[in-house]
Amino acid sequence: MTKPRQQSVSNRQDHGAHRILSMRPSRRKFLKTAGTAVAAGAFGAVPLRGWAADPVNIGALYPTTGSMAQIGVGCVAAAKLAVDMVNEAGGIKSLGGAKLNLIISDVQSDTTVTRTETDRLITGNKLSAIHGCYASALTLIASEVCERAKMPIITGSSSDQLNKGRRFTFTPFARASQFAKAQLQMAKLVSEQPKVAVIFENTAFGTSTSNGLKELAPAEGVEIVMFEPYSAGFTDASPLINKVKASGANSLFSLSYLNDLILIVRTVKQVGLNVAINGGSGGFVMPDFYKNVGNAAEGLQGVAHWNHDVSDDAQKVNVEFKKRTGEFAFEYAGGLVAQTFMLADALERAASADPQKVREALSTLDVSSGYAAMAPGGKVKFGPDGKNVYGKPVGVQWQNADLVSVFPKEDARAPLLKT
Amino acid sequence: MLETIVQAVINGLLIGGIYALVSIGVTLIFGVVKIVNFAQGEFVMIGMYISFYLATQFGMDPILSLVVTMPALFVIGVLIQHFLIRRVLGPNDMPQIFLTFALSLLLLNLSLMLFSANYRTVHTSYSDEAWHLGGLYIPVAKLIAFVVAMILSAALWIFLHATDLGRAMRAASQNRDVATLMGINPNRVFAVAFGAALALAGAAGSLLMPFYSAYPFVGQVFVLMAFVAVVLGTLGNVLGALIASLMMGIAESLGIQFVGADSGLIVVFAMLLLTLAFKPNGLGSRRLRS
Repeated sequence: MTKPRQQSVSNRQDHGAHRILSMRPSRRKFLKTAGTAVAAGAFGAVPLRGWAADPVNIGALYPTTGSMAQIGVGCVAAAKLAVDMVNEAGGIKSLGGAKLNLIISDVQSDTTVTRTETDRLITGNKLSAIHGCYASALTLIASEVCERAKMPIITGSSSDQLNKGRRFTFTPFARASQFAKAQLQMAKLVSEQPKVAVIFENTAFGTSTSNGLKELAPAEGVEIVMFEPYSAGFTDASPLINKVKASGANSLFSLSYLNDLILIVRTVKQVGLNVAINGGSGGFVMPDFYKNVGNAAEGLQGVAHWNHDVSDDAQKVNVEFKKRTGEFAFEYAGGLVAQTFMLADALERAASADPQKVREALSTLDVSSGYAAMAPGGKVKFGPDGKNVYGKPVGVQWQNADLVSVFPKEDARAPLLKT
Repeated sequence: MLETIVQAVINGLLIGGIYALVSIGVTLIFGVVKIVNFAQGEFVMIGMYISFYLATQFGMDPILSLVVTMPALFVIGVLIQHFLIRRVLGPNDMPQIFLTFALSLLLLNLSLMLFSANYRTVHTSYSDEAWHLGGLYIPVAKLIAFVVAMILSAALWIFLHATDLGRAMRAASQNRDVATLMGINPNRVFAVAFGAALALAGAAGSLLMPFYSAYPFVGQVFVLMAFVAVVLGTLGNVLGALIASLMMGIAESLGIQFVGADSGLIVVFAMLLLTLAFKPNGLGSRRLRS
């Protein structure tokens, strides 16, 4: 219903758009004043019994179609679960038990669509906060739009870029730079003298992540014996694995998307190469990876910003998520439940659905128990850059068809298998 | 060192067998019907999805599912030739290019819609197996794929040279007007050629399934190599396409091994450029057959 109206707004001449934009603060101010007056008069003394409080709108931006849809659909399922959990627990008590209302928007795995959809979501609805988009490339765009609209956004994306010059963006989980460090430290658990082969697809993702590894390796005392880009979407991993074999590496870091990674893992098994594979994050720590690779996935390592065994609360979420979707709660799903509870905590303390006040409350968030603290390390507190000062990744390994936390020691739920 | 080279050649040869099935299909269609089928890769993709669903729904081994994919793709090929290609055959190439290109886009997006962009793999008992001979290894799934690909190529060769329909096909490819005057029905010959080419693409799909993932864009990966092989081996020459495919597989593998893992294709395209510079009609140009 609101769509045609926004289209007409965006179609207007520039000066028209400016006029409308400049009107917005005054209208908001008016509503605020009026709202306060009404609240003071009507609700100040009279108890709310029997009245349903206005729901609090939370925007959710996820790619549910297109190439990133697989994880995006899982995120939406988790977002719904999280909202149900908050509402069943009584909603936002300081707002008269207001229920959270999720408004989902499909960003279609596309950066341009992400920009317009974020804009549409903010202008077309009275939101208190947004979460999304899981994929860093999309989240960077959504975050820009949110910053301009002064709308708080909380995200599980790991790009360090999200913590630069932003005030409304909150990242409760480990950053990409921390992932590389964790991977290198895991290689040291596999061997006293870690010799790592790094193979990466020759794209922006592969190149930047591999360079991060290369820079950190000397400080961690890890020797990189092979550093090789490859063309993504190859037909045969054998020649590449031949090279890994010749390099004498005892750990293999593969910075690849799912299809290449499956080929690489299978080929390593065929060659009979005894090397510990660390597949990093992303598709590798998804239930689908095991389904595709089968037994060959056993013993493979990765890193995640959340895992379903990090705490008792996480395991409860996992059971519920499994009931709904049939799969275990993957990192973004579990992280999203935690994020929703962080928003609920902020709303509770703000006692307001106003995005500005929610932002203030998020910036002073400090939790160490409950679902909101359900992160590796068990504590969440945002620094001035929106980064969780306690944020850290968790090293994981596929063991008996399940993804188990094995690193660091304090978060490990099972020992690392050196296969 | 020698071991590494031999291993690289084995790897290249095995994957070259798959390239051959795709490129023979392209070259057969070009040789007989005189059109370039840009959608050939998408038929490999369809073959893969058929094998995938037969394996997951009915527990059929992907290689055995050849007996379903090949006839199914043959029928699809005959229908496409009869209802679509036949209408655009004529002196002008443009409608043919647009038609097969549009078909490729249509099938690609249709499969995105139906199957989503997810990777689908089938796990067979031999998917991760390999035979080890000294320091060398031969992956079982790829060896089976290679052997079946060679058998199918040989069967096509025999069909083209030893049966009436095959001879009619070669006649129609050499001179359509004269063949028609000799009593050959070109529409029938074209339909069989198109069907056979698609059956080979379907076979490639089934043979790939035990060790490669099915996804909507998978055809694009193989069709690029197929087009290079077809040009390298002289357009329309079945034997040329087969040999060129195997050569390209080996060149790619050696390129990755000794130049760099992102340079496999560079070696292949360098080979194409050099061939075109010295033998503009491709390697098989002297003895033009089939």
